Amino acid sequence: MSMVRKKFSWKQLALGAGLAVLFLGNLTFYIWYQSESVRLGYRIHELEMKVEKLQEEIKRLETRKEALLSLERIDRVARNELQLQDPKPDQVIFEKQVVK
Amino acid sequence: MRLILQDRSALSTGHRQKVKLILVLVLFWFVIIGVRLLELQVLEHKKLKAEVLEQSQDLITVLPTRGTIFDRNGKILARSLPAASVFFSPVKGDSLEQQVQSIHRLKNLLDLKEQEIRKILNSIEKRKRFTWIKRKISLELAEKIRSLKLPGVYLLEENRRFYPHGQLAAHVLGGVNVDDFGLAGVEYYYNSLLRGEEGQQLIMKDARKREFFIETIKETKPGQDLYLTLDSTIQYIAEKELQRAVEKHQANWGTIIISLPQTGEILAMASYPSYDPNNFPPPENVMPNRAIQHTYEPGSTVKMVTAAAARELGQIDWNTHYDCSQGYLVFGGTMVRDHVRLGVLSFSQVFIQSSNVGTIKIAERIGPENIFQMFRAFRFGEKTGIDLPGEEAGIFHPLEKWRKSSLRVAIGYEISVTPIQMLQTLNVFATGGYLIRPRVRLEKPSPLTGTITAALEPPAGSQLILRPETVRGLVDLVLQPAVEVGTGREACLPGYLMAGKTGTAQKYDPELRTYSNKKHVASFAGFVPARQPLISMVVVIDEPRGQFHYGGQVAAPVFREVARKVLLYLNQAPQKLPENLILAKKETSIGGVTD
Repeated sequence: MSMVRKKFSWKQLALGAGLAVLFLGNLTFYIWYQSESVRLGYRIHELEMKVEKLQEEIKRLETRKEALLSLERIDRVARNELQLQDPKPDQVIFEKQVVK
Repeated sequence: MRLILQDRSALSTGHRQKVKLILVLVLFWFVIIGVRLLELQVLEHKKLKAEVLEQSQDLITVLPTRGTIFDRNGKILARSLPAASVFFSPVKGDSLEQQVQSIHRLKNLLDLKEQEIRKILNSIEKRKRFTWIKRKISLELAEKIRSLKLPGVYLLEENRRFYPHGQLAAHVLGGVNVDDFGLAGVEYYYNSLLRGEEGQQLIMKDARKREFFIETIKETKPGQDLYLTLDSTIQYIAEKELQRAVEKHQANWGTIIISLPQTGEILAMASYPSYDPNNFPPPENVMPNRAIQHTYEPGSTVKMVTAAAARELGQIDWNTHYDCSQGYLVFGGTMVRDHVRLGVLSFSQVFIQSSNVGTIKIAERIGPENIFQMFRAFRFGEKTGIDLPGEEAGIFHPLEKWRKSSLRVAIGYEISVTPIQMLQTLNVFATGGYLIRPRVRLEKPSPLTGTITAALEPPAGSQLILRPETVRGLVDLVLQPAVEVGTGREACLPGYLMAGKTGTAQKYDPELRTYSNKKHVASFAGFVPARQPLISMVVVIDEPRGQFHYGGQVAAPVFREVARKVLLYLNQAPQKLPENLILAKKETSIGGVTD
C-alpha cells in the first residue's frame, strides 16, 4: 500500500486553520460560559441565602427590640430599679394649655 | 487529511484477516454499546430518570411566612421568625437500642419530659417512619443538635409566632397552633390574609449535592401584614387599670373597651384574667374575649337608650316630674327599687340619679312599642359585626314575646348585651346620633395612621338613628350631669367635660331562681370630652366582692384613672383649669432670668 499526500493550497490551509480556531474558540467559550454560569449560580445562591439570613436576623432583632421596649418591662424597670412613680395630677403641666 | 488506498490487492491475506478481526471487534463493541444504550434509554428509562432526578433535583414546598401584626403606630404585636423542628426517622440497619439512645441523648438538650420521651419511644417501637421530637426550637439549639450528628435525628426549618409584648392585647390577637394556623382573635379572623400561599421550588444539585440553581415553579405568596386600630400604650393602660380593679374588688373578671367614637376604631380591648399568646392555647377559663363573648344584663347604662326613646319617640318634656319618693314600685309582678329614696325628680334627674322607679314610670308613659322600637334601632340582640371571631348577639326578645314585666328592659333587665354592644350604643351619643360598626383592623395604614384626633365626620356606612338635637340635649342635660353631680361622680376628672352613665345590675341566680342580692355586674360607659369626644370607653366588672358593688363605686373610678392616663398620653390638655391648680407664670427679663 502506498499513500500520497494531497497538496493543499495556503488559502485552504489558512481557512481550515481559521475554522479550527473558530471551532475551538467557540467550544472554549461555551465551556467557559457553562462553568461560569454554574460558578455564578453557586455564588448567587450563596448570596441569596446570606441576604435571606440577614433579613431574618433583622426581623429577629426588631422583634427582640420590641420585646425589650415592651411597656410592661419599662414599667417594671422604672418602678423597681429606678424607683420612679406616676406624676401627681398637679405635677403635670400641659404645654399647649389654653388659659381663659 | 485523506488517505487513498491505491491498491486493494496489495494487501496481504494476513493483513486482511487482521482488518476483518478489528472490524468484527468494533462491530461487537458497537453492539454491546447499543444493547446497553437500549437498556438504559428504553428498558430502564423511567426508573433511571427518576433516580437521576432524585439525585440532581429537589422539588420542595416553600412555606409562606405569616404576616406581621402591627398596632396603629407600627409597633410589632405578632411576628413569625425562623425556627427549627426536630424529628426522628430511623436509619436502615440501626438497632432499636441505637435509636433509643439517640432520643435519650436529646433529653436534656431539648428539655424533654418523661411523658414526651415515652410517646416518642412508643412511636419508634411501632416502626413509624416519622416522629416529631420537638417543634419550633430556636436556631441556636438546632445548631447544637445538628453538631451532634445523631443517626436518624433530622431538622426541619419552620416558622414560629412571637408576641414580643407577652400578654398585651392577648384576646384581640388570639393565637396560632403549632402549624401556624390562627385559632382565636385576629389570628383566626384574618387567617387567610395572614397565612399567605405555599410555593414550590425546583433545586438543581451537582454531584456533590451542592445547590447551584433554583427554579421557582410556583411563587410563594407571603402572608400580608395586618395593621390594627389598637394603640399599644392605651391598651397597656387599660390592662393595668383593669387588673388592679379586678384584684382590688376580688371580682370574677373585668373588661375595658376604648374606641375612637367617630370612626368605631377600637383603641384598646382588655379582658382580665388574660393569657400569654406565646403559650397558646391557654386554660379555658381565661380564653374567652369577654368584651365580645360575654353577655350580661346591663342595668342602668341602657337608661340612656330609654331617655333617647322618651325624647325622640315619646315627646317627653324636660320639665316633666316624677314622684320617686316611695323608693320602690311594684310592676308586672316584680318589685323595682331605687338605691335610696330620691323624692320628686325631673326627667333629667331621673337619669342623672339613675332612678329605676322614675325610669319605669317614663317607660310606661311612652309605651312598650316605642321602647322596643328604640332598642331595636340600637341593634340590641344583633351582633355589632366587629371583625373578631365568636361575637355574641345577646338577647333582646321580639315584641310579641313581651310580658308586662318586659318593660324592665328600660332599666337594663330582661335584656342581655355584650360590652361591645354597649360601646356601640354609647358611641351613638358620642357621635351625634350615628350607629357605627366597631372594628379592629386599620383599613389604610399610613405614616399618619397613629394620629389620634377627634374626627369630625362619621365613616361611610354609618347610620343616623337619633336626631342630633336629641343627642345634644341628652348629652348636655343627662350624661354630662350624671358624671358631674349624679351617680357617676367618681368618674369625674377635674378640668375635663365628661359624659357617661353608671350601671349596677343584680345577677340572676339559677339556684335561687331569682336575682341575687350579693352578685352584681358593675359598669360604666362614658366619653371624654363631652363635646367632640376623643375617646369613648366601657368598663365592666363582674361580681365585685369587696366593700363596694355599685357601678359608680367600682367601674367609674377605673374609667377616671384610664381616661386620665390616656388623655395625658394623647397630650390632651384639660378644657378648664382645676380649681386647685397653681399655674407657673413664665416671664423673661432682659437678663434672661425666668420665674
